[in-house]
Amino acid sequence: AAGSVGSVVRRFLVEYGSGTPSRLKVLDAYLLYVLLTGALQFGYCLGVGTFPFNSFLSGFISAIGSFILGVCLRIQINTQNKGEFQGISPERAFADFLFANTILHLVVIKFVG
Amino acid sequence: QTACNFIKSNVDSSSIDSLFYAAQSIRVLSGCEVAISNETRELLLGAVSEDSSVTQIFHAVGALSGFGLPLASQEALSALTARLSKEESVLATIQALETASYLSQQADLSGIVEEIEDLVARLDDLGGVYLQFEEGIETTALFIAAAYKLSDHVGTEPAIKEDQIIQLMNAIFSKKNFETLSEAFSVACAAGSLSQNRYHLPVIIVPDGPAAVSHHQPVLRLQVTDVMSQPLTQASVKLDYAKSASTKATVLQQTAFALSGDVFELNFMNVKPASGYYDFSISVDGDKRFIANKVELKVKVSTEVGITSVDLSTVDKDQSIAPKTTRVAYPAKAKGSFTADSHQNFALSFQLIDVNSGAELIPHQTFVRLHNQKTGQEVVFVAEPDSKNVYKFELDTSERKTEFDSASGTYTLYLIIGDATLENPILWNVADVVIKFPEEDAPSTVQSKNLFVPKPEIQHLFREPEKRPPTVVSNTFTALILSPLLLLLILWIKIGANISNFSFAPSTIVFHMGHAAMLGLMYVYWTQLNMFQTLKYLAILGGVTFLAGNRMLAQKAVKR
Repeated sequence: AAGSVGSVVRRFLVEYGSGTPSRLKVLDAYLLYVLLTGALQFGYCLGVGTFPFNSFLSGFISAIGSFILGVCLRIQINTQNKGEFQGISPERAFADFLFANTILHLVVIKFVG
Repeated sequence: QTACNFIKSNVDSSSIDSLFYAAQSIRVLSGCEVAISNETRELLLGAVSEDSSVTQIFHAVGALSGFGLPLASQEALSALTARLSKEESVLATIQALETASYLSQQADLSGIVEEIEDLVARLDDLGGVYLQFEEGIETTALFIAAAYKLSDHVGTEPAIKEDQIIQLMNAIFSKKNFETLSEAFSVACAAGSLSQNRYHLPVIIVPDGPAAVSHHQPVLRLQVTDVMSQPLTQASVKLDYAKSASTKATVLQQTAFALSGDVFELNFMNVKPASGYYDFSISVDGDKRFIANKVELKVKVSTEVGITSVDLSTVDKDQSIAPKTTRVAYPAKAKGSFTADSHQNFALSFQLIDVNSGAELIPHQTFVRLHNQKTGQEVVFVAEPDSKNVYKFELDTSERKTEFDSASGTYTLYLIIGDATLENPILWNVADVVIKFPEEDAPSTVQSKNLFVPKPEIQHLFREPEKRPPTVVSNTFTALILSPLLLLLILWIKIGANISNFSFAPSTIVFHMGHAAMLGLMYVYWTQLNMFQTLKYLAILGGVTFLAGNRMLAQKAVKR
């Protein structure tokens, strides 16, 4: 059991390393960064307290929102999904990503206080 | 005579109003004559036409009548009626009534007389108490005077009902001070006409002094007058009934008041009424014209109270010893003192009787007051009557220690008896009572409760700031939160992300500058701006960045 989990993970890492275009890997690194940032914020809040609550919420929502937008971008520029996104070029996806992030962070900055 | 000379020298023969006032004045002054020239007469006669206002017709007719000059009543009446249909104000109608009272009875004045009824319909009812014209008290009073003058002249009872007359009187006699002489004059005219006309005579019934009788003052006196305060000595004043206000039993009925001088009297104490309040219904008859001649009056019958059977006793709590009773007679004070402590209670019982009739009384105020001689404290209790109307009061030290603040000592006992119908309220120092409270409850110092010293100051508690983590912790976290960024850069380098494909096309540069500016705007927004300003700048920067970005990405797509 433990052995099979370990071997599955190792295999996944190998496949990931070789099968994924570097563009996507760059995006994945970004996603990992955002995830860690969000988790750290949450852990801090759990440990020290929710004051000031609005700041915590805005930071956390920024992390979550950025993560979601990043995932959307990743799905859209993945060449394997080209069939499902007929009219949307990678450039268009990236432009959408930037636009959505701008709006998200406008609200986040408003809320952080 | 001086008045007559004044009038003769000041009358203005060309003014109809001046002639009217002069004419009315010389009618009242005896032996005063004013010579009237033919021109003046022609002027006055000419004014009586439907082209003149009602006031002018009124004054002309009044002047002609006052000077004793002949007047064609029928023509005057038709001019008046024609003019009145054009001028519909209340004052004009009232003046028409006055004018008609100068015209001969041969003319058919019934049209004008009907105006009285129309005017009554125009009165405003205020709360069912007052009836007056919206023009005010002066107009209302003038109306009353004019209506009765015309009715007396024509011989028809005016179409005003009794309760309307009462309400009209309430309105015009409501003021004690008048602002203008004309208002005072109109009220005086109305009062005069209400005391001397052929149809309605309002009667005013007031008690002479307070409406109270007692053994010392057994006679109820009433002033029965007309509106001008002239006593109506010819009237017969009768008590319809007198009922007790509490039991509603009739104690007297159908008894006449006797006239004594200018007031009417009745000796009410003859029927030996019990003390209390009585509702009297009184009616005044004797003249068919009397109105408002039935009144209700509340009369108080007072008496004197006596305290009997006053017993002071100490009752043993265990009931092992028989109570020691001392009888005291008012107003003496009991000799010796009584003790109330944990073994025995102090008890007081007494009876209250009407000195004149011997009946038992239940007054409103029956208090037992205990006054601490040393500290000045006083505690007041209410003595209650039992089923046999014997008043009882018992002092149990264990039950009552809170009222006394457990202050032991010698207390002076007073009995306080009072009521509105008692002529002799009583404050009687009955005895001294030594009260002993259990030692452990005694306060260390007995302070007089001074209610008027400044109270302890209340400190305002400002809102406590929320608990924050120490700065060390939050600084550490700030450093910690930057570590994923470091990780990201390392990963990117490892993956091989680079900017080798960076083309220095203008759109690319503009795009990157615009985007950087937008990020900078976010920072400025956080520190300084509000949403509206930010949106403004964002629109500009965003627009530029979008266009540049569009161009750049399009180029990129083409390259691909």
